[in-house]
Amino acid sequence: MRYFFACICCISLLSCSLKEPLYHNQSYVFGTLVDISTYGETDAEGQNITATILREFQNLHNRLHAWKPSELNGINHQIAQGNSARVAPDIADMLKQSTQYSVQSGGLFNPAIGELIQTWGFQNDEFHALSIDTKKIATLVKANPQMTDLIIEDNHITSKNRHVQLDLGGYAKGYALDVGMTMLKNQGVKNALINIGGNVIALGKHGEHPWRVGIQHPRKPNAIAALNLESGWAIGTSGDYQRYFMLDGKRYCHIIDPRTGIPAQGTQSVTVLIPPQANAGVLSDVTSKPIFISEPNKKQEAIKRMNVKDVMIIQENGDILITPSMLKRIEWLEPDAKTHLQILQSLS
Amino acid sequence: MLKHTFKSFNHFPKPLLGDWIIIVVSMLLIIWLFKSLWVSEDATRLRIRLGNQVYGEYSLKQNKALTIQGKVGTTLIEIQQGKVRFKQSPCNNQYCVHQGWLHHAGQAAICLPNQISLELIGEKTQFDTLNY
Repeated sequence: MRYFFACICCISLLSCSLKEPLYHNQSYVFGTLVDISTYGETDAEGQNITATILREFQNLHNRLHAWKPSELNGINHQIAQGNSARVAPDIADMLKQSTQYSVQSGGLFNPAIGELIQTWGFQNDEFHALSIDTKKIATLVKANPQMTDLIIEDNHITSKNRHVQLDLGGYAKGYALDVGMTMLKNQGVKNALINIGGNVIALGKHGEHPWRVGIQHPRKPNAIAALNLESGWAIGTSGDYQRYFMLDGKRYCHIIDPRTGIPAQGTQSVTVLIPPQANAGVLSDVTSKPIFISEPNKKQEAIKRMNVKDVMIIQENGDILITPSMLKRIEWLEPDAKTHLQILQSLS
Repeated sequence: MLKHTFKSFNHFPKPLLGDWIIIVVSMLLIIWLFKSLWVSEDATRLRIRLGNQVYGEYSLKQNKALTIQGKVGTTLIEIQQGKVRFKQSPCNNQYCVHQGWLHHAGQAAICLPNQISLELIGEKTQFDTLNY
């Protein structure tokens, strides 16, 4: 009997003192919410490492800002005047890599269309419906700014086309995920989760279980599904529901089709899962864009081009197109999602 | 018989140390069980973040209006018996207001311009983070 009470005492004491070693830090960077969790670190260590990473993100954001004074913005000014500009080695590498992905996507991922994004009013912290200047848009499309117009040599950059205006909005957050991941590993952190505006990368586990990520429903204020994000994996979504405006009952989202100069229509969201690799974060950001922009009958081709296996597409009519490997990993939280499923067989 | 019972009541033995331990431990156990089970049964709580700070945590089982001074102005948040919404916001887009009522654990709404986020916490969070 005595032992029984001793046990109860211990259990109740333990239950009071047992706090999960989960640390959580949140900040606003890249014009969006950034959220870093660590597991297994003390609060002090967690605070220290997450604050260092958030500072580095802020630094990246300041250097890569497309429309406020920044290194990238300075390059844009020089390009517009037909001059050569100095470029830091890491930004030069980002631009070279973006060029590769742009070519791979057949030009659908195109960070050179800053002028179009500006014209649509998406280079603003807040945006609103505006009258659409079709003439100006046509001129900007005709100017045909391409990443391949850039020439980068000896830390200097020039462009064959003055209309190239760089906007890394579809790349920088993914790049930052990879930077954060490297910093965590260098600091000896074993378990962490970074979320930059919805793009997420995982390291290790949340205790006994893998990190668990919910996928936002594009039209409802709840998650449509959830999945386990194993160590090293990244997940990214391109959607029409975070940055958009409505005009005459039509939705204009921030993802612009470089071929027409008009926001891509017909798709609510594209979610991709990227397996562990050095640039998993970048791939989680970049690869969803060409799939989002492609017409319904070209989506499979875009998936193949971008070389992703795990994809979920939610179409304007609510249809959910999903690859078999993605379907296996996902758990539905929205009960009627299953009735809208269409399996995407891979193109061979 | 009755008399006998009364008599033994009068001679109720003085509790010993062991009895006190049992009494104290049982009470602690009751308090602990109450706290842990009560909270998770009706665990519909709301966490509000302002910038990178937790602004506060509130029970959803109440009617309450909150006025929060954010980055660009004053946001009005309304709690109404198990649900919460952005009632008024100084931002241009009003995405946060259009999100409407949030009911379920794991739901969240953010007002990026004013840097305020609402997060509903339940007995068991369904996931660690949200991909959007």
